[in-house]
Amino acid sequence: MDIDVLAHGIVAGSLYALVAVSFNILYRPTNVFNFAQGELVMLGAMIFASLTSLAGMPWLVAFAGTLVAVGCIGLVEERIAVAPILARSQTGTGWVITTLATSLIISNLVGRFWGPDPILVKPPALLSMDSLDIGASRISSYEIALVLVTLVLVAIVERVYRTLKGKAVMAVAEDREAALLRGIDPGSLGRWSFFLGAAFAAMTGVLAAPILYASTSLGPDLLLKGFAAAAVGSIGNNRGALIAGYVIGVTEAVGASLLSPGYQEAVIFIVVLAVLLLKPEGLFGSPNARTV
Amino acid sequence: MSRAVIPFTTQAAALGVALALPAFVGANSYALFVATQLGIYIIAAIGLNLLAGYAGQVSLGHAAFVAIGAYSVALLTVDHHWPFWAAAVVGMVLAAGLGVLAALPAFRLNTWYFAFITLAFALVFEKMIVEWRWLTKGFAGVVGVPPPSAFGYEFGPRPLYYTVVAVTVIAFILVRNVVHSRFGRAFVAVRDVEPAALAVGASPQRTKLVAFVISAALAGIAGAFFAVQKTVVTPDDFTADFSIFFLLTVVLGGLGTLWGPIIGALVFFLIPELLAGLQSWRMLIYGGMLLGLMLFAPHGLYGALRQAWRRFAPSPAKASAAADSSHAREHPPIAGLGLVISGLRKQFGGVQALDGVDLSVPAGSCYAIVGPNGSGKTTLLNLASGYYVPDAGSVKIGDVEALGSGAQRIAARGVGRTFQTPRLIADLTALDNVMLGAYTRERAGLLSTALRLPFARAEARRLRQEALGFLQFVGVADRADIEAGEIPHGQQRLIEIARAMMGGARLILLDEPAAGLSMSELERLERLIMRICGLGATIVIVEHHLDLVANVATHVTVLDRGTVLAAGKPAAVFNDERVMRAYMGERALKAGVPA
Amino acid sequence: MKATVSLPLLSATNVDAGYGHVRVLESVSIDVRQGRIVVLVGRNGAGKSTLLRALSGLNRPTAGKVTFDGRDITTARPNAIVDAGLLHVAEGRRLFRRQSVADNIELGRYALRLTEQEHDRRVDRIHQLFPILQEKMNLPAGSLSGGQQQMLAIAQAMMREPKLLMLDEPSLGLAPVLVDQVFAAILALRAQGVAILLVEQLVEHALEIADDAYVMQNGRVIASGPAAEIAAGDALQAAFMGEHGAPHHPEPRQSGS
Repeated sequence: MDIDVLAHGIVAGSLYALVAVSFNILYRPTNVFNFAQGELVMLGAMIFASLTSLAGMPWLVAFAGTLVAVGCIGLVEERIAVAPILARSQTGTGWVITTLATSLIISNLVGRFWGPDPILVKPPALLSMDSLDIGASRISSYEIALVLVTLVLVAIVERVYRTLKGKAVMAVAEDREAALLRGIDPGSLGRWSFFLGAAFAAMTGVLAAPILYASTSLGPDLLLKGFAAAAVGSIGNNRGALIAGYVIGVTEAVGASLLSPGYQEAVIFIVVLAVLLLKPEGLFGSPNARTV
Repeated sequence: MSRAVIPFTTQAAALGVALALPAFVGANSYALFVATQLGIYIIAAIGLNLLAGYAGQVSLGHAAFVAIGAYSVALLTVDHHWPFWAAAVVGMVLAAGLGVLAALPAFRLNTWYFAFITLAFALVFEKMIVEWRWLTKGFAGVVGVPPPSAFGYEFGPRPLYYTVVAVTVIAFILVRNVVHSRFGRAFVAVRDVEPAALAVGASPQRTKLVAFVISAALAGIAGAFFAVQKTVVTPDDFTADFSIFFLLTVVLGGLGTLWGPIIGALVFFLIPELLAGLQSWRMLIYGGMLLGLMLFAPHGLYGALRQAWRRFAPSPAKASAAADSSHAREHPPIAGLGLVISGLRKQFGGVQALDGVDLSVPAGSCYAIVGPNGSGKTTLLNLASGYYVPDAGSVKIGDVEALGSGAQRIAARGVGRTFQTPRLIADLTALDNVMLGAYTRERAGLLSTALRLPFARAEARRLRQEALGFLQFVGVADRADIEAGEIPHGQQRLIEIARAMMGGARLILLDEPAAGLSMSELERLERLIMRICGLGATIVIVEHHLDLVANVATHVTVLDRGTVLAAGKPAAVFNDERVMRAYMGERALKAGVPA
Repeated sequence: MKATVSLPLLSATNVDAGYGHVRVLESVSIDVRQGRIVVLVGRNGAGKSTLLRALSGLNRPTAGKVTFDGRDITTARPNAIVDAGLLHVAEGRRLFRRQSVADNIELGRYALRLTEQEHDRRVDRIHQLFPILQEKMNLPAGSLSGGQQQMLAIAQAMMREPKLLMLDEPSLGLAPVLVDQVFAAILALRAQGVAILLVEQLVEHALEIADDAYVMQNGRVIASGPAAEIAAGDALQAAFMGEHGAPHHPEPRQSGS
């Protein structure tokens, strides 16, 4: 296998893993799989692109502003589209439709404000998108940084889950009512998780922008590949998501190099179906025994 | 299920308008074109509603199944000169077949996996249409799809319109028949109360699959007409927006209502005309509407209509006519099934819930399992009925080892059960809940049910009578037409027992049937259990109410912390020292037992 | 302390509650005074657990009033009720089985600001009362035996030093020796001034350690009074054993030793 294909698979896979982690952040306390997540990633990329390329803000300021802005949008989504549905029924799936509706609204509004043209986003200082020609692979310093940053981010997220708040999130995921009896407020954790999950998605968008450009078409693609990574890596398992992200990224790159780029999605789709058929809980989850 | 609010006259008038339309508009008029298109969309929407509304599986990629039908017809008729009808059938089969292949893993998982997978399927399919240029002609699409013909006569716009109307009406009727059959009841059960579906022997996976196959096939046939109506089929016709459009149609009309998709599609066709100037805002409006509807009118326009109707014309408290019409019949004897459990073990984490339990329930006995809370009684019941898998041991039902069979297969073998908290389907009437019990007993298949073949109809009628009989048997026949969610707790328990009997259960497992019953309800329950045993059925009852146990049980096993403490005749067992200790604690003994 | 002896710590007045269309509790009134053990007895389905759920805010009462420590908590949210010092250890313990014993104990003090000394003091107290937990701190809670799980559930509540602890069937599935340990812990907690509202199937045993008792049947309180009187009265027998009593079943005639 071409080392270059592999390297680019890992780069793309890192992005998918980040999207998957952002799914997980939101999913854990709410059991909601946000169909608007792809558009939140896109929104992050667009806002960041506008703030840096168009408004000329410094990288860090724009970065922070983007995260807060998209986090707030996630919070608004939770308040309007998710909380009322969950209040009606904790187990229903009405949120599939409402979060999908949210994604339609975001993508169309963004489309109207920004138009369809992709915006070029430059990597932060010291890094560049120029190929480095390390051995057989043509990978850029930014791409190497992205892979490393992804590892660090997943490690940080995992650390957050070892704090008391993080443990409370896991407690809510396991038994919402039992958490209530310990004074944990699942509603507040759900709102926090939507804020952080959306901010994380926005960060993924910011990180993806130099590679993929900021454009409105970013959403659906990353939604599905992020889902693929989350499902293959077992929903809620961030380390699983990281490895599954690599698997998806490399599969996609190899598939595209062997067949034609048009088959990328088809190859991933078949891999996901095969994994779910053989291991419905994904590669890294164990079927949890439940007592009723 | 609540019957149509839309009166028959309105239905007939709607059909009349549909049939008369061509007389008022030109054969090549835009109005006829739009009306034909409307019919095509309704066909697909009816299918999606069956899937999303009744079976609770939201498909976000329905456009892909329409596309499969359309491309099948276009390619087969243009490139291979097949007749339309044969090509349409291939389109239906392909839509259903490819859909099932893709969705198969999703049926075992949470419903939103299905939503994601259909969304991804549609996206991949869209790409593949473009990619497989050699087959699909890529972006250019397939042009010049010939109109259908029959007996050498080529269909013009009018005959095509009539054909579409006919197919729409047929689709509506078939789906209505399915919804009102055991399949429809199973759809709702799987959607709302999966354990109840298992208890009556309906496999959730297979039930979802059936709903999906029907739905995808209807999308396929809609696609077939789509191709001949437009005469050109291109990838642009089947984008993600198109899937959203179908979803919105169904949500707008009312998810899980028969008329929803029709109302939704009608309204939808009016809106674009009204909002012609807002074309570029279309998807934004769709998104806003979807969100608003789900939040404020989850049952759509039909639901809103129904609510308004009920407010203005509250239905007279109907003393169920059904109750009087069927006279009390004695039920034929039931050949009870024995149950032999040996060495049964089950551990949950560090807690040994069952630690090697043996018991033998003779056929036709009324066998009670008692013991303090937490002694493993309900775990035992859940293991015997296949809801849990034991760590070790054997469960023999009749002469057959039941271990490893799923809950729904054990149910199909004649094991009925009730739950500690009654698991009725709140949206179905008491009668429908009982009829759901007959799921595995009904012989009529999907096709004969959908077509309402005479034998299927006769069977449905017979089962309805039988279900009424069982409602009467348990003493709640007057509730037959009331939705289960509105029925008091105590009666729900009785309906659950009727449901188990309706399934032809020869071994009935009752999980704390007396909990929460009033004195009078308790007496009714006691008589009922004795009557069921009197018919010959085997009953295993897990119960705390020792009075009830003493009165009805022929055998008793006492469990304590996962082991059998004592077993035998009730009188003897209740005298056992160890039993008292388990129940009352150490000190009860010291205090002395009354002579 | 705000609550005085004359004013009950917890007072529920004419509470109705249920699930969906089903009303389980009908006009239930109970009082729990400070430092007392109050036991609720009655058959399965009588509404005991529903009452605890109504008091802890899981099933908001549809009618009536609940006051705790001088505050109206009828419509308070569960976490606010916990913060007020009313803790509910649910039936079946409801631990976070996948998390460690230590994490479960930590979750018991969620959202509570404790100094390090205070935190350690509370953990020490838990270890004193339940030494076995100290050995198991790093194991997942799900791997504990039933008795240890019950101790852990009580330990979680102890992290908050509750004013009133509601225990739903603490003896569930436990061997007699462990039941004795759990009951001893309940007495120890009372000695520290904690009021206990106990739902218990080991009626005899529970009445022995209780100060006051309520008998419930079909969602109503049918008798109440000092535990000793209830133990000797007929209401208990009617509610728990059925009017006739099981054949030759021991009748809980005698009061505590």
